[in-house]
Amino acid sequence: MKVNYKKFSTGGYEFKDFKGNPINKVIDMEIPQTLTIPLKQGFGGEVSVIVKPGEYVKAGQIIGIDKNAISSPVHSSINGIVEEIKTIKHLNKEVNAVVIKSDGTKEWQPLEGHSREWNKLSTEQIQKLLYMSGVTSLDKSGIPTIFKSSVISPEQVENVIVYGIGTEPFNISLSVLLQDERKSQFVTGLKILKKVMSNAKFYLAVNKKNSKLIQELNNLLFDVDWIELYALPPKYPLELDEVLIPTILGKKYPYGYLAANIGVIALSMQTVTQVYDAVVQGKPLIERTVALGGTGWKENVHMKVRVGTSIEDITSLYLKEHESYRLILNSMLTNKSLTSKSLPMDRTSSVLIALKENKEREVFSWLRAGKNKDSYSNAFLCSLMKVSNKSCDTNIHGEYRSCISCGFCEDVCPVDIIPHLIQKYVKKNMLDEEVIDYGIFNCIGCNLCSYVCTSKIDVAKDIREGQEKLTKDECGRDTIVEPYFDLIGLKEFKNL
Amino acid sequence: MKKIHNLFDKLYKIESLKKFKPVIQAADFFLFGTEETTTSAPHISDNMDIKRYMIMVVIALLPSTFASIYYYGWRAVAIILVSYIVGGIVEVTFAVIRGHDVEEGFLVTGLIFPLVLPPTIPLWIVGVGIFFGTFFGKEVFGGTGKNTFNPALVGRIFITIAFPVFMSANWYEPFTSGLGGFLHYAPDVVTSATPLASIKAGVELPYSYIDLFLGKAPGSMGETFRLGIIIGGLFLIATKIVNWRIPVAYLGSVFVLSSLGNIVMPETIASPGLQLLSGGLLFGAFFMATDPVSSPFTKIGKWIYGICLGLFTILIRSFSGYTEGVMFSIILMNGFTPLIDSIILQIKYKPIKKRSEAVLNER
Ligand code: SF4
Ligand code: SF4
Repeated sequence: MKVNYKKFSTGGYEFKDFKGNPINKVIDMEIPQTLTIPLKQGFGGEVSVIVKPGEYVKAGQIIGIDKNAISSPVHSSINGIVEEIKTIKHLNKEVNAVVIKSDGTKEWQPLEGHSREWNKLSTEQIQKLLYMSGVTSLDKSGIPTIFKSSVISPEQVENVIVYGIGTEPFNISLSVLLQDERKSQFVTGLKILKKVMSNAKFYLAVNKKNSKLIQELNNLLFDVDWIELYALPPKYPLELDEVLIPTILGKKYPYGYLAANIGVIALSMQTVTQVYDAVVQGKPLIERTVALGGTGWKENVHMKVRVGTSIEDITSLYLKEHESYRLILNSMLTNKSLTSKSLPMDRTSSVLIALKENKEREVFSWLRAGKNKDSYSNAFLCSLMKVSNKSCDTNIHGEYRSCISCGFCEDVCPVDIIPHLIQKYVKKNMLDEEVIDYGIFNCIGCNLCSYVCTSKIDVAKDIREGQEKLTKDECGRDTIVEPYFDLIGLKEFKNL
Repeated sequence: MKKIHNLFDKLYKIESLKKFKPVIQAADFFLFGTEETTTSAPHISDNMDIKRYMIMVVIALLPSTFASIYYYGWRAVAIILVSYIVGGIVEVTFAVIRGHDVEEGFLVTGLIFPLVLPPTIPLWIVGVGIFFGTFFGKEVFGGTGKNTFNPALVGRIFITIAFPVFMSANWYEPFTSGLGGFLHYAPDVVTSATPLASIKAGVELPYSYIDLFLGKAPGSMGETFRLGIIIGGLFLIATKIVNWRIPVAYLGSVFVLSSLGNIVMPETIASPGLQLLSGGLLFGAFFMATDPVSSPFTKIGKWIYGICLGLFTILIRSFSGYTEGVMFSIILMNGFTPLIDSIILQIKYKPIKKRSEAVLNER
């Protein structure tokens, strides 16, 4: 395996040393009494339910499947009785969900055909295991198989990137995810994926500061020539496909489309370990390791939770009382906050963040030294300190002002456009070819510009508005992307 | 604190003071900060805000400010106060009339302006100058962020043209020993020549480079303590408040052009050392040319802007009737800023639509 050290210099920002980072401790959560399992989870469409209220289901039993549309099966993650099927608002979409009442047992039903000797399985058998386990629905483009699990077929995949850089303020800990024997299982997972996507070259993207992991992976993979390791700086938003792929492959990204459309599949490390679980151990995707990030938790542990566990089951155990916290799943920078605690954790969950709601006013805040104030600029003391304990909360730390062209937004923008320029065009409603030329559609909505803005302008939101208006006027992304790229699986993507 | 808090709450509620809400709010937020929270992603926000941004510039100006008191006595403080008070009144009046927030930009403008004035200046001219600068330099354009020209410079240029006698005829010899100006209101030894004027007249300079570096030669209040200016400037660059490109391009081009010019025309173009250490060049390069609002925002534009500044400064200093060219160059280039940016944008961002049609035709 080759190890490459690569810089990432077009923008980005390293969030580091925040209070409330998950620690290396894993807790097996008890089986909750009831679960709500959404019928659309991860990549693909909603599946049709195949169980009825009153029916007894086993953990690992498929309760929803749709072989004709792009999707992967959904399982019950506990043993128990189906109570009802209802509509919930999950991740801002109305979806049907199956409510199951647990009988309290932990056992799960393994997948048919799994084998310790996975090498002896045929590619079809492996693909069937992956599909039936639901693992194929993970990450942005899913995992292609002979089933309709992604928009392209496995042979069309040219590159597979597996990332574990940790670029968000709060990340799942890789030492937890790849603990002890998990590391070699991870490597086996990679080999399984290679067998499925045999034409692809594989890349591992790892935090360059994690030299221990790089060393260990190198030891495990030293004789493998189809894989390359890239050591990258942990700058947000490097883990987004739109930034990761150009950085590693030097390829242009068709903004607004899937990585799969250009023959690339990007997977997180947890996905690969779950590939191993499915094929070798026959474990369907009924459990996720979720990190608790942010200062709102009594302890920032990692939890193994069954898919469908309600957020309330976690918060009632670990959330601090007496103060109000905003709950956000996976990313504070791009995801909406969770409006209801009754919502379930699904198979894509990896970090649950409790961010302090801070309406408190800080006396002379602009004069403080700032030992724990995070800032892109170096105007606070903590940028001089080696290790700091930065705090983060929902306060905007300043007043709304007009743009002074300080250029911070341009400096951090990962796609090399000038956010404040485009924002001004949008605000003046000058939406024509000119803003398209300036790259309004290159904006991938990473929201970093809004984060750094000195004048507290929600630059990214305004840009998004501009994109929507242009799309309505039939000057959307397709008109500037499709002529330039040979996109594969385009029809399937559009039907999603 | 609680009492002040309640006072503000009461003030907000008084009907007759509704119009003055921007003023009350400015004072309120100045003291207590904000309670506003993010509404959607990103749920967190950088701690940097305009107040911090502006205060960093003020901090960077402190060495120059203290030096101006040391060299020219407490009168310097009087000048700064007049500038802040008049500038503040204009800002607040416009905020009330327009009903928008009081913008913190005047904290910087109000300090930069007095620092580029000669120490002999009558206080009323200070008032007139800052009034003109904030009014015509900023407010008529629509306030902070929309002005084409640097407001402090607009004020300065205006009084240079309107009251030439006060602006360039008399200069004070700075205090240079002991506690200096900290024990005096104003110096009394008047001189007629700044180093730049001497250079222009071809007279031998009575100051060494070290004198110039430490500010022992006469000049505008805040422009002479060059060591402090450099420290302040580097501080701003290190904190990312100021982009390094403009000062580097400006000072670099002055250095290169004057080196070349000095070889070709040693009589008219002074040597690079003198160019860099005299007049308002360092102060202008670090604190005025870098004003983000009135300088180009494109990176290449910043280089072009800086290089042109150097060129114009040398030209004006060497070939015009004026002794100093820094301010005129900056004002001039402020005017060209939109043009520079739009040209760079056109070069950098080629029309996508037309290209895509071409691609389609090829297929
Ligand atoms: S960060 Fe904010 S104030 Fe600075 S240039 Fe961008 S939009 Fe303007
Ligand atoms: S949200 Fe868009 S414009 Fe803003 S930094 Fe990210 S990519 Fe750039």
